Amino acid sequence: MNDAKPIPHWRLLAGVNRTQSWRRLKSAVAHSRLHAFLMGLFVLSYTLLAYALFHKALQFTSSFPGLGPVLIERMIFLLFSFLFLLLLLSNVIINFTNLFRNRETHFLLSLPVPHQVVYRWKIFESGILASWAFLLLIAPLVAAYGTTYNAPWHFYFVTPLFVALFVVLPAILGSWAAIGLARWVDRLAFQVAAVLAVIVLIVFVSSWLQPETVTDEMLETRVLDVVDRLLSRTRFSLFPFLPSYWVSSGITQWVEGALMGTFFFGLVLLSHTLFFGYLASTCTGGFFYGALSAVNSRGSGAAAFWKFWRRKPRLGQAAFEPKPLDRWAKRLWWGSADTRSLIVKDIRTFWRDATQWGQSLILLGLLVAYIVNLRHFSHRLTSDFWINLTSYLNLGACALNLATLTTRFVFPQISLEGKRIWIIGMAPLGMRRTLMAKFLFSTAVSMIVTMALVGASCAMLSIPLERILYFTLTVGVMAFTLNALAVGLGAVYPNFREDNPSKIVSGFGGTLCLVLSFLYIIGMLSLMAATSRWAFGGSSAVIFGLGWALFLGGSFLLGWLPLRTGIRKMANLEI
Amino acid sequence: MIEIEQLTKQFGDLRAVDDISLAVPAGEFFVILGPNAAGKTTTIKVMAGLMKPTSGSVRICGSDIGTSPIEARRRMAYVPDFPFLYDKLTPAEFFRFTGKLFGMKDATMEAEAEHLAKRFNLGEFLAKPIESLSHGTKQRVAIVSALMHSPEVVVFDEPMVGLDPHHSRVLKDILREQADAGVTVFVSTHQLSVAEEMADRIGIMHQGRLVAVGSHEELQAANRDSTLESIFLSLTDDDA
Repeated sequence: MNDAKPIPHWRLLAGVNRTQSWRRLKSAVAHSRLHAFLMGLFVLSYTLLAYALFHKALQFTSSFPGLGPVLIERMIFLLFSFLFLLLLLSNVIINFTNLFRNRETHFLLSLPVPHQVVYRWKIFESGILASWAFLLLIAPLVAAYGTTYNAPWHFYFVTPLFVALFVVLPAILGSWAAIGLARWVDRLAFQVAAVLAVIVLIVFVSSWLQPETVTDEMLETRVLDVVDRLLSRTRFSLFPFLPSYWVSSGITQWVEGALMGTFFFGLVLLSHTLFFGYLASTCTGGFFYGALSAVNSRGSGAAAFWKFWRRKPRLGQAAFEPKPLDRWAKRLWWGSADTRSLIVKDIRTFWRDATQWGQSLILLGLLVAYIVNLRHFSHRLTSDFWINLTSYLNLGACALNLATLTTRFVFPQISLEGKRIWIIGMAPLGMRRTLMAKFLFSTAVSMIVTMALVGASCAMLSIPLERILYFTLTVGVMAFTLNALAVGLGAVYPNFREDNPSKIVSGFGGTLCLVLSFLYIIGMLSLMAATSRWAFGGSSAVIFGLGWALFLGGSFLLGWLPLRTGIRKMANLEI
Repeated sequence: MIEIEQLTKQFGDLRAVDDISLAVPAGEFFVILGPNAAGKTTTIKVMAGLMKPTSGSVRICGSDIGTSPIEARRRMAYVPDFPFLYDKLTPAEFFRFTGKLFGMKDATMEAEAEHLAKRFNLGEFLAKPIESLSHGTKQRVAIVSALMHSPEVVVFDEPMVGLDPHHSRVLKDILREQADAGVTVFVSTHQLSVAEEMADRIGIMHQGRLVAVGSHEELQAANRDSTLESIFLSLTDDDA
C-alpha cells in the first residue's frame, strides 16, 4: 500500500514550511496593510539611507591619498570577520533552540524521517533565521563599496554568491557547537561557563584594546608607520584560515579587477563549504540524535551540584521556604506581593534559560569593555569637539545597546507567557497590573545598568559634573521610553503560539519595536546634539530648554502611547 | 509486535523506567496504567525513539528502535500526549504531508484519510486552518494522520484527552478494530474504564517498574480485588 515513488523528505519539509511561511505573511498583511506597508517602507528606506551614508563615508575615506584604500580594505576585512563571529554566535543560539527545544523536531523524529534529514532541515532553517538580518544590514555597505570603486556590473552578482557560500560555514559550525553544548554541558555548567567566558572576554578585550602612543612628530614624519601600528589591532581579520578572509579577499580583488585572485578565493570558499556541508549533511545526524536524547534524559543540574557537595536537595515542606531571591525581592520590590511574585517568576524563568541571558551578557560585556577602555585615550582628547562627540556617541551606543536588549528580552515577555497566559489572566492581579509590573521592573533594571554605564563613560572622559548628570538623566529617560515601547508593542502584537523568543522577536511586532527604537534614538540623539548648550557650537538657553522639552515630550509620547494601547489590548484579551 | 527487554531509563539520579520487560503480541490491545510520574510517557518516548534507553532495548515488529529507527517508525503510529501540528496548514494538507512522509500513494492516502476523517467527523474541518480548530478537533486530526498509513503497531499516549464522549467511543472502536485486524495497540491512559472495557491485557506501572501485568481477570485473581480501581490503588499506594 505504501509503495509510491518516494518524494525526498527534504522537499516535503521545504514545501510544508514554505506554505506555512507564505500564509503567515499573507495573514500579517491582511491583518494590517498599513503596518505591512510601513515595514516595507522601512526596509527600503534603511537600504537607501544606509547606502547613501556608507557611500559618502567611503568616498570621504578614499579621498586620503594612499591611506584611504588601505583603511577601506581593512574595514571590509573587519566587517566580514565580525560578521563571521556574530553569525557563529547567532547560529549557536538559534540552532540550540531549533534542534533541541522545537516541537516540530520531536514530531519529525517520531516519523520515519532519518535523523540526518531532520538535522539537515533544521540547520537550513536556523541558518536562514540567524543570517537574514545581518545580511540585510551589511548589503548597503557592500553595495556602497562597489560603487565607490566603480566595480563592474558583475560584482553585484558575484558578491551575493560569495556571501551565500560564506554564511553556510557559520551555520554548520554553529550547529556543531550547539550539538556539543547540548550533549556535554548541562544548564548549570553552561551558566557558570558563560559567566566565566564573559569575564574572560571583558579582560581580554580590555587588555587587547590598549592605546598606542603616537607623538606629533611621528604623525608628521612617519605616517605609514603610525597607520601600521594603529591597524595592528585589526590584523586578526587577515588571518588566512578565517572564512571571512576568503570572502573579503574575493570581493576586494574582484573590485580591483584581479579576477584570478577572486576565482582562487571563490574556490577556497566553495571547497570548504562543500566539505563542511558534506560532513554536516551526511555524518552529523547521529550526533544530533545522541545529543537530543541526552538533553531529553538530563537530570537536574542542581541535583548534581548538591550531590557534588554531598548535600541532598531539600524536600517536603522545606522546599516551600523562601529562597534568597524571594528574600531579596521582598526587600527591593515595594509593590504588592502578587506583582513581586510575578517579577520573581520572570527572573527565575530568565535565569534558567541560558540562551536568554547569555546574549545579554555578551552585549553588556562588550559595552563594559569599551567603557573601561575609554580611560586609556580620554587624556588624548584635548579638543572639546572630540570630547563632546565621544560623549554623545557613548550615549548613542548605550541607548542602541539598550534598544537591542529591550527588543530581544522585554518585547517577548507577554508572548512567552504563551499558553500559560490564563494563569495571570485569571488571577486577581489583572492584565493591567501585570503589564505595569513587567514594565516597571524592566525599566528599573535598565535604568540602573544604563545610567551607571553612561555615568562611568562620562567620568572616564573627565567631563564636568553637570554634563554627567545631563547624559545620565537622558539615558534614564530613554530607558523609560524603550521599555514602555517594548512592553506596549509586546502586548499589542503577542504571539502565544511560539515558545522560541528569537522567532517571536523576528515577527512583525518585534521588527516594528526595533525599528521604532532605533529611529527614536537617532532622532533624539540628533535633537539633543543640535540643541546642546555646550557642544557643536552651543545654543542659547531657550533653544536648549526647548530641545530638552521636545525630548521629554517625544519620549513620553513614544513610550506611553504603545504602553496604553498594550494595556487596553491586554485588558480586552480573550484567553 | 512490541518487545521490550530490560528497559531502563535514567534522568540524572532519577530512574524513570526501571528494568521493564514486556512483550505485546500482534493483535493485542494493551493498556498501560500508572499514577503521574510512574514512567509511562518515558517508556512510550523510548518506544517512539525520541530517547535512547540507558540500558535494554525496544523492538517494533522485530526492528530495534535504537539500531533501525526508520524501519521501526515506518511500522508504527505514535500520538504523544500533546501532538504537534502545523498551524497554518489545513487538516487535508497535513494528512497529505504525513502520508508522503510514510511513502503513501496519493490514491491510498486520500482514501484512508477520507475514511478516517469521516469516522471522526472531520469533514467540515478538512479545509480550515488547523490553528482555528478546537483542542479536541486537533487531537482527532493527529489521530487520523497517525493511523492512515495502516501501521502494524499503534502507540498512543493519553489519546482520550480532549475528546468528547462520542469521539472517545469512535477512537475506542477503531482501536479495537485495529487490534482485531492484527495490529498491536499500546495505549497509556488514566481512565481505568478504558482499560476495563478495551484491554486484552493491562500493565500497571509504579515508580518506573511494571508492578503488574495481565488481563483484568488475571489481575483480579492475583490481587483478590473486585475492581480495577482497588487493584490499581493498592498496587500504587506509596504508604502500603
